Amino acid sequence: MNTLRDLIRSRPIVTAAVVTVFLAALPFLLGNNYYVRVATIVGIYVILVSSLNIIIGFTGMFSLGHAAFYGIGAYTSAMLTTMAGWNFWLALPVAGIVAGIFGTLIGLATLRLRAVFLAFTTLGFGEITRIVILNWRSFTRGPMGIAGVPIPTLFGWTFDRYGYYYLVVVLAALTVGIIYRVYHSRVGRALVAIREDETAARSMGVNVFGYKVLAFTFACVFAGIAGSFFAHFQRFVSADSFANLESFAIITMVALGGTGSIFGPILGALILVILPEVFRFLAQYRGVIYGLVLILVIVLKPGGLAGVKGIFEKPKTPKRRKRR
Amino acid sequence: MRRIVLVSILAAALVVPVFATGQTEAADDSIHVALSAPITGDWSEYGVNFQRSVEMAIEAINADGGVLGGRTFRLSVGDTKGNPQESATLAQKWTSDDSIVAQIGAFSSSSSMAAQPIYDAAGMVQLSPTASHADYAKGSPWSFGIVGTQAGEGPFNAAFAYDDLDLRKIAVLHLNNDWGIDTAKYFSEAFESEGGEIVGTEFYFDGESDFTAVLTKLKDSDADGLFIASFYNDGAGINIQRDRLDWDVTVLGPTSLYSPQLISLGGDSVEGLYTATGFFAEDPDPRLRAYVEGFTEKYGDPPNFHAALAYDAMFLLADAIERAGSTDREAIRDALAETSDFPGLAGSITFTERGDANKGYSKLTIADGRFIPYE
Repeated sequence: MNTLRDLIRSRPIVTAAVVTVFLAALPFLLGNNYYVRVATIVGIYVILVSSLNIIIGFTGMFSLGHAAFYGIGAYTSAMLTTMAGWNFWLALPVAGIVAGIFGTLIGLATLRLRAVFLAFTTLGFGEITRIVILNWRSFTRGPMGIAGVPIPTLFGWTFDRYGYYYLVVVLAALTVGIIYRVYHSRVGRALVAIREDETAARSMGVNVFGYKVLAFTFACVFAGIAGSFFAHFQRFVSADSFANLESFAIITMVALGGTGSIFGPILGALILVILPEVFRFLAQYRGVIYGLVLILVIVLKPGGLAGVKGIFEKPKTPKRRKRR
Repeated sequence: MRRIVLVSILAAALVVPVFATGQTEAADDSIHVALSAPITGDWSEYGVNFQRSVEMAIEAINADGGVLGGRTFRLSVGDTKGNPQESATLAQKWTSDDSIVAQIGAFSSSSSMAAQPIYDAAGMVQLSPTASHADYAKGSPWSFGIVGTQAGEGPFNAAFAYDDLDLRKIAVLHLNNDWGIDTAKYFSEAFESEGGEIVGTEFYFDGESDFTAVLTKLKDSDADGLFIASFYNDGAGINIQRDRLDWDVTVLGPTSLYSPQLISLGGDSVEGLYTATGFFAEDPDPRLRAYVEGFTEKYGDPPNFHAALAYDAMFLLADAIERAGSTDREAIRDALAETSDFPGLAGSITFTERGDANKGYSKLTIADGRFIPYE
């Protein structure tokens, strides 16, 4: 594993080229629309899990309502395109911005308080979002959901299964790339400092509150973008897709993949989207396998598969704190 | 060491099923159909009953010699968890499998509608036993729903009230949600076009338990009948309070009132109430008795309306394949669209142009604490 990591580090361009060729060729290797769809869903979750990782993994905050921002993005995009006649390419960034605005509001209201309050608030916000969507019939069409969300087109070409796949690969790659750059910037170092020790960070001149709100908003923008893609991919949105259970699924992926790393969320999304599909033949027992895999990971590698610092780990000890 | 153990377990978990699924492919000429249902999650009770009913139906059809001159059915079941996204993924799985000729499911309207664009693009029949959303069936020529809509039930209840019960002036009390508004609207329109008069309409909100104010208002309206668009729990409360107000009036309501709970909650106050149902579990019809008793014996509980609809869906599909004379996906769709007066256990089925069903219902009344057929 370490040698592989060294190889990737020493040959970044070769690695990037190999990954690009692999991702580009993947739909043709899979050949089957169902597999391409599963790959596309992996892409959606890579965005969601990577963005939640900014909150949980980098900054050490805990959000239980990520699906709400995902849902806000999906509804914003679905409503703008079906009711106001917007173009998908315009609705996509706007969905991110609207989700980000809600993220900022939640962040401003709660991030001055201790971490646990953010967890409660976001849990409540997730439920409130779902209930508002269900009950505000004149605005969101309530339990009816929004059907007929348009298929994106690009220079006159209408997206097909492969089109969606390539679009989500580009979006996920951009998300991971941007998060990678931010992580290795001054902002990223400030966030890690907050995670490791808020008081120390503050005494070093880090604006703890400001950076927390920034990180939270940043994560919500990506969740909104994932939601927008999802709305146009599924072409039907309803509140059922954005319940609290969805938030927990995303958190589980962060935990399994490993918090605080760039690669962990990708691994978590990959495994936890594919695993239940692979075990479909077990019908009602497939949930058991899902649970078993989680327990195994918690027992054998509490930091997550590729994690720097896991949610399941014991409180940090100085030795574990830094790898390098 | 730990890492090696973990990696090998994960690898095994991902690879083993690939071999395991390989065996299910049958080489015979059986007809492969798929079922999407919420086997786990909040609606698992309905999903499991879907699976039981469809399996029972396939067993019965196969034992009876199958279709198209002896071809039997086999079933693949997929779990939607009640999640629209899973349902759409399943749709992609089913439509990518060339051996599958049609799909039954999903349970909820939103799961069915999320999967709709995929069935539509691939050209495969999506036959939902229970989706009743007004936009569902009309969304695609490949989508069909057999539960019936209020647009079909309203005129039936109106004719029941006007022709059979001789009511001329009706007061309407409805639950104020999308279902209740539609139910009251379609009933009232049909009753007025029969020649009757709606003398008052009141509503209540979900969760309200005091109906005396609205009942007093309606009592003064000089109505000879009261139509309640409610579910059985509110229906019982409304009747108990109507009784206390000494308002002696003929009460009738839609199929949603048909539940043994209405009688156990409402007691004497619901005596003589009129309602209807698509599925009357005590019906003496021999086919229905065989299903109800077979189901009860096998699974311990009697089937409900939703389970019976899934049973009907499978028989309807078999019937359509027989009429189509082939297992071609498009031929099945065309045959299904022409379905007329199909004798389902949960009401006869005739598809409208949009693909939702006009149902036949049985009229019921309550006497001596039991539902009995209205003669």
